[in-house]
Amino acid sequence: MSAMDKTLIEVRGLTKNFGGLTAVDGLDFDLKEGEVLGLIGPNGAGKSTTFNLLSGGYPASAGSVRLEGVEMLGLPPHRIAARGIMRTFQHNMPFEGMSVADNVLVGAHTTMRSGLIPVLLGAGAARAEERKARERADELIDFVGLGEFRDAEVTTLSFGQGRLLETARALAGEPRIMLFDEPAAGLTPGECDRLAEIIRGIAARGISILLIEHDMRFLLPLADRVVVLNFGRKIADGAPDTIRSDPAVVDAYLGEAGGVGAAAGSGAEPRPHA
Amino acid sequence: MGAALSHPWLRWVAGIVALSIIPFVLQPYELDLYRKMLFWVALAISYNFLFGIAGQMALSHFAFAGIGAYTVVILLTQADFGLGIAVVAALLLAAILAFIVSFAATRLEGFYLALATLAFAQLLTVVLNEGGSLTGGTGGLTSYSFPAVFGVKIEGPWYALVMVAVMLGTLAILLRIDRSWFGRACRAIRDNTEAAAAMGVDVARTKIIVFTLTSVMAAAAGMVYAFFDNTVNPPVFGLENAFLVLFMVIVGGSGSHAGAIIGAVLLRLTQDILEPIVGHYHALGFGVVVVAAILFQPKGLIGAWDALRARIKARK
Repeated sequence: MSAMDKTLIEVRGLTKNFGGLTAVDGLDFDLKEGEVLGLIGPNGAGKSTTFNLLSGGYPASAGSVRLEGVEMLGLPPHRIAARGIMRTFQHNMPFEGMSVADNVLVGAHTTMRSGLIPVLLGAGAARAEERKARERADELIDFVGLGEFRDAEVTTLSFGQGRLLETARALAGEPRIMLFDEPAAGLTPGECDRLAEIIRGIAARGISILLIEHDMRFLLPLADRVVVLNFGRKIADGAPDTIRSDPAVVDAYLGEAGGVGAAAGSGAEPRPHA
Repeated sequence: MGAALSHPWLRWVAGIVALSIIPFVLQPYELDLYRKMLFWVALAISYNFLFGIAGQMALSHFAFAGIGAYTVVILLTQADFGLGIAVVAALLLAAILAFIVSFAATRLEGFYLALATLAFAQLLTVVLNEGGSLTGGTGGLTSYSFPAVFGVKIEGPWYALVMVAVMLGTLAILLRIDRSWFGRACRAIRDNTEAAAAMGVDVARTKIIVFTLTSVMAAAAGMVYAFFDNTVNPPVFGLENAFLVLFMVIVGGSGSHAGAIIGAVLLRLTQDILEPIVGHYHALGFGVVVVAAILFQPKGLIGAWDALRARIKARK
């Protein structure tokens, strides 16, 4: 990653209060073009709340989130997706009545330009678009390694495969930015390695990535830069190597789970809502 | 034959020809059952899209058939509209009412949507009963007939072809949009609203479009129904039939077009065959079929068929 100077997302003073509790408190950070940014912190640090603020799940109490200078706070989730920001869910949320291929095609929703009338009339452009979307969905299914399950019902997938489906589905929206909500949670070590490889592949396509993650062992080798949260505030922001030895970070993790490594792979973080 | 029928256009042509020949070989009583069955199939197909595919548990579907039926008759007989204008105006009225109901209902889901749309259906029967000379009150409207089109009277088997056209038109439109981004968006909303929104689906807008479109389709079927017996009355558009169309979709297999058709045909047949034999006890047979389907085969008859086919395939 060389040309990471253009800022895509600018988060300033982002704050969320739940009654008397301030889950996110004046958070500032940038996501640059082509960057893999990790957002990390111990349980209750405000990671999931931050994620929900960015993806339109919660209204913010204060602050701003700008995509190339345009305010995004207050937009409903479907409008955020339409701006090229796609997400995965920590607890897989597949469309259970549909095949793997159709799940991925739903992800392509914002890329479909044909109106309902051309679709109804079977217009050539609408049919070509549908064909192209199917080809792309097939490519993405192969990319995440679910090729043999293309026509399977999603209920037959394992949890790890479901996470890969989440990834392919979000990619189908041709995002500029991918938001991953604790992607390693609930995965076996082998599945984590596979997912890390896929995330590197996504970054190699020039898609910026924001990874919200509890598991340091998964995140640090992947991220270009890491923002560390504790009690809703940013306590560190820098390269993974400097983060690893940052006294404030070590302190935050030591105080909670007995060391940076020990926090790995739990994925059982309670969320403020949901 | 099987190979030739694999081409989708040929299948449509074969279907149109077969359904269009049938009315001409039937006796009058059978013809009446046939066209009413087509009416129910048309309603079940559009209701399946609303309930089975888009996941909206609305109970107003049959009420919209009533709105279509009453409106077209009133416009023809009391406003002296021409047939074409009356049909377009009735569809437009149904669309406007459906839009208003769905706009109000986008915030409601499941049980609450069912209650709100049920209230709308009940309101309609009150309006029909209390509508004075406009709706004919409890007795409804009678003694009208389908106007001649360019001087030609369309009657008997020829009128049944109108129902064939509306039924097949409903099916063709819904199959088309089901196999597009729109159909997938509908199923996505049904399966997981939050994830659908995150994928960029405008949930409220999609719900409104589906509700309005399928309700207008119900109104179109209702308009044809109005001239089957040249009478419309409030009890027909009451609760019993509102639930019957729901049961058809559930028994056949909700979410499946073929399932909706099978469910509609089966439940009509149960009634048509049993009623002459056991009278009112036919409802018992109907109840047994519905309860058995819900208990033993939640995916409906089409689900049972798929499971059977999978088992045969596995054995080969």
